[in-house]
Amino acid sequence: MSKPKIALYWCSSCGGCEESVVDIAENVLTVRELADIVFWPVALDVKYKDVEAFADNEIAVTLINGSIRMDEQEHMAKLLRRKSQKIIAQGACAHIGGIYGLANLNKKGECLDKAYKEVPSVKNPKGVLPQVKTKDCGRELELPDFHDTVRSLDQVITVDYYIPGCPPNPKYIVEAVLAVLGNKDLPFGYVFAERRSLCHSCHLVDSKPQDSVINKIKRVHEWVWDPEKCFLAQDMICLGPATRGGCEERCIKGNMPCRGCYGPVENVEDQGGKFLSALASIINSNDEKQLKKIAGSFPDIAGFCYRYSLPTSLLKKKVG
Amino acid sequence: MAERVGVYICECGPNIKEAVDVGELTIYAQGLESVVLAKPFNLLCSASGQELLSKDIKEHGLTRVVIAACSPKEHEATFEKVLKNAGLNPFLLQVANIREQCAWTIKDKRAATQKAKAMIKAAVNRVIHHEPLEAKEIDCQTDVLVVGSGVAGLSAALTLAQKNRKVYLVEKLPWIGGQVARYEKVFPTLECASCVTAPVLDEVLHHGHTDLMSNSEVEGLTGFYGNFIVKVRKKARLVDLRACIGCGACFEACPVKVKNEFNENMDERHAIYIPFAGALPAVAAIDRKNCLRFKGQVCEACLKACPFAAINYDEKDQLVELKVGAIVLAVGFDLFDARKAPQYSYGKAENIMTAFEFERMLNSTGPTAGKILMKNKKPPKTIAFIHCVGSRVKKFNEHCSGVCCSYLLKFAHMAKEKLPKATVCEFYSDLCLPGKEAQEFCDKVTGKKGIELLHMSGADSIKITVKNNKAFIQYADVSGKNKNKTVDMVVLAPAMQGVKDSKELAKLFDVSLGKAGFFVEENNQLAPVSTTTKGVFIAGCCAGPKDIPASVAQGQAAAGCILLRLVPGEKLTISPRVAVVDSELCSGCKTCLNLCPFKAITYDEKEKQCVVNEVLCRGCGTCVAACPSAAIKARHFTNKQISAEIKGLLE
Amino acid sequence: MSDFEPKIIGFLCNWCSYEGADSAGKAQREYPANLKVVRVMCSGRVDPQFILKAFKEGADGVLILGCHPGDCHYKEGNYKMLRRFSLLKKMLEQFGIEEERLRLDWVSASESEKFIKIVSDMTAKVRSLGPLSKYE
Repeated sequence: MSKPKIALYWCSSCGGCEESVVDIAENVLTVRELADIVFWPVALDVKYKDVEAFADNEIAVTLINGSIRMDEQEHMAKLLRRKSQKIIAQGACAHIGGIYGLANLNKKGECLDKAYKEVPSVKNPKGVLPQVKTKDCGRELELPDFHDTVRSLDQVITVDYYIPGCPPNPKYIVEAVLAVLGNKDLPFGYVFAERRSLCHSCHLVDSKPQDSVINKIKRVHEWVWDPEKCFLAQDMICLGPATRGGCEERCIKGNMPCRGCYGPVENVEDQGGKFLSALASIINSNDEKQLKKIAGSFPDIAGFCYRYSLPTSLLKKKVG
Repeated sequence: MAERVGVYICECGPNIKEAVDVGELTIYAQGLESVVLAKPFNLLCSASGQELLSKDIKEHGLTRVVIAACSPKEHEATFEKVLKNAGLNPFLLQVANIREQCAWTIKDKRAATQKAKAMIKAAVNRVIHHEPLEAKEIDCQTDVLVVGSGVAGLSAALTLAQKNRKVYLVEKLPWIGGQVARYEKVFPTLECASCVTAPVLDEVLHHGHTDLMSNSEVEGLTGFYGNFIVKVRKKARLVDLRACIGCGACFEACPVKVKNEFNENMDERHAIYIPFAGALPAVAAIDRKNCLRFKGQVCEACLKACPFAAINYDEKDQLVELKVGAIVLAVGFDLFDARKAPQYSYGKAENIMTAFEFERMLNSTGPTAGKILMKNKKPPKTIAFIHCVGSRVKKFNEHCSGVCCSYLLKFAHMAKEKLPKATVCEFYSDLCLPGKEAQEFCDKVTGKKGIELLHMSGADSIKITVKNNKAFIQYADVSGKNKNKTVDMVVLAPAMQGVKDSKELAKLFDVSLGKAGFFVEENNQLAPVSTTTKGVFIAGCCAGPKDIPASVAQGQAAAGCILLRLVPGEKLTISPRVAVVDSELCSGCKTCLNLCPFKAITYDEKEKQCVVNEVLCRGCGTCVAACPSAAIKARHFTNKQISAEIKGLLE
Repeated sequence: MSDFEPKIIGFLCNWCSYEGADSAGKAQREYPANLKVVRVMCSGRVDPQFILKAFKEGADGVLILGCHPGDCHYKEGNYKMLRRFSLLKKMLEQFGIEEERLRLDWVSASESEKFIKIVSDMTAKVRSLGPLSKYE
């Protein structure tokens, strides 16, 4: 009997999720023993038509990373959904939209203009923008269209499980693949991470006093902080309280505050809004003018509240 | 299993019927998902309306009810009872306010109907997510701690004791009665103060349910409403309460003499003493600060002099732990220190005194046996009574103490009775004479010859200096003219303030401290004796300046509040609309800890989690909104319920 | 856009502002029907997620009314709301939500006239701004 099939695909992605697959190191041998990798654009020269040739549900599990912004990505996501029994959204982009999601704070036209016309190092005197169809040398060429907004994977296809993180923790990649191959009974929408937020497993939480308040915001480039003390207790933004744990505090151990890449805790609809609520609630002021001033000192509130999760937030994009 | 929602639209007579299309609303409601029946009714709150509701719940197996009618503030409780009696959990109800917030405010029938539809949809959406809730019951102590034995504390203690509650009355002095025990007469009736208080004091000393701990102080407090644990230090009196009869043989023998603080340092007492004749309990106490034995010297004078072997030098302080359900703070007041206002020259001249000093002077048990005498032992020919010392001025205290005008008039009256030939004048800027009898009392007193009312332009438009051993008073009268007067004796009425250690007491009992050291009540209008700390009540002058009847009333009120809630044999019911932490989601991030003004959230060091005390939680939801993990749930106001409501309003 | 009627969602606290709205009703005073109210026990309960959800579900404006500072029935809930509001308002600018669309104000139980003025003013302002979802 042939081994079950596994596939991996990348959408709008930086390649970091592929690296984390490589980082499973010797575990790849275990996986190799249990299954065949049949499609993996970064590593194998398998064509789209080969994927189309699979029967429906022939692939046991497909890991898709990257967010969706191009026609090609949407097409492949839908194709792989048909061909796979289980789809796992791998990495923050597929899970919650990722950093690319911040592009949703600008209109599509603004993005294209910036990239193709306004960036100082671009030479585009005729102001040419990419088109879906164009004629060149007598032939018609097609390019995948660029969507209005960035979307997470489950906003395009149904997703069975999620491996969060930017990049994801290799241990969860192994766990997820083995779980599916072992037919483990997991609830639909299961997230391979901890249920509680990062503070639970953070080694700095004991240094956080019970009456912690924020007096003003200090940013990472402005000063040298105490590495043995909780960031929030030192007036620094750390999204740990609003972010799922499971990353084994890689950033905290690297003396940097959490930026929220594992996404919100379950039951939280909007990670950025919830974090804003928690942060604001502990600001040490009840004076309207002073609060306005403090709010004004944040250069990009949406940016750090929704760094990874804007497409899956409540508003998803610029609305007005 | 799908919910079975019943929607009832009340016509409220013509109020709703004529403002919205009830028929259209009924059809609309009927068509909503999960709604199994929708009915209009003329007056749902009526007996027949309630009957219909009850019948339908049982007959149609309704699992949720929506009532579109008047404001939930009117009848939500009424309909909750109906649900309960019909066997449905009362929290499975949602009221849509289509009267006060729709029918009565929108003239256009079309627009009103549209809004009512949205409100009904929202209510149906929300009620589906309601959960059955049970009011929790906890065991509670019914014993009560009363701190302070002034008239407020005594009133509270007796009211409670008379309904068979055990009352621990803790008084820091060795004698009870508070300030009123030191007065001679009380206004406006001019009755003798001790005649008024004697029966009360006697009852407290002998009532089977009152456990008087005089010479004692509260040192520690833990726990919460219904279950407080109080640590009390019973300081050693060194005199046996049962053996001593107050004969005074010991004081005469004592070689030590110190200033008698009970007589405002106007005379002296011994290191073993009873502060004034008539102080209760009539048992001596040894002042360890001044007794020679406690300074390392040998002395047994009082022991040898006592005919009843009542002295016990070996008595030690006792630390006791009391379990009580509620606490009444009735610690009284102190006067503003007039030395802080040098314009009055208090402390710089012999015959300028405060109201407390004058009270003791008037009292037959006081330092002058009731005679008004200057320091040179001669009676004064002229006395000035100064109103508003340290009162009604931004610099010291902005408030008016409300009783000084009345007692200064009392002083004027009593001064004239004792010294008919003396001239008495009252320096005032406004007269505060509230109540049924004060104005009449004032007219009576000032109608007498030899009592002058001098109207100043402002509360502190006055300066007193000493000239030739007399008090030289310069003041601006109400027309702005500068005037002066020379008098033999000056009596100052300083502002009433909270007791000197009110800051420490506020911290110990977890009550808020307001201006001038007074404790803050829960609500200025409707909850004057409770505080935001459930189970801790305030009564009397510690809650704000007031006269004796008002202090008594507050003591009784606090007792009343406690009597009705802490009943022997009954459990304490706690509202279920509180916050609850899901321990599987709480990460111990500590965001919520500092946000609760009722200290209902604590951090469990072992589990590294936050826990909400359901007894202390008031259900405001502030911590719920702040929790970055959405690990805290606000029962009956959950995120799911409110989100569903928002969606319904906008569809 | 002449027939555009803005949808305004209001979060009113049980003790002060909801009571204030009720007293406007008891006095039978007319005010725009555009406001639809969600009752909460305290303005401190208002999670920014509710405000975002309201905008997402179609609200053109969101109004939060609480007790006057210092008068909160639960002592400080309204101050916590003020803190969140300050940050949220700044953030919503980046989402293109004009500042007139989100308002926090204080209304006591006896201030029915103030309540009516706030609702009328806000409805008029949001009407002139147009629907929020005009760029859909």
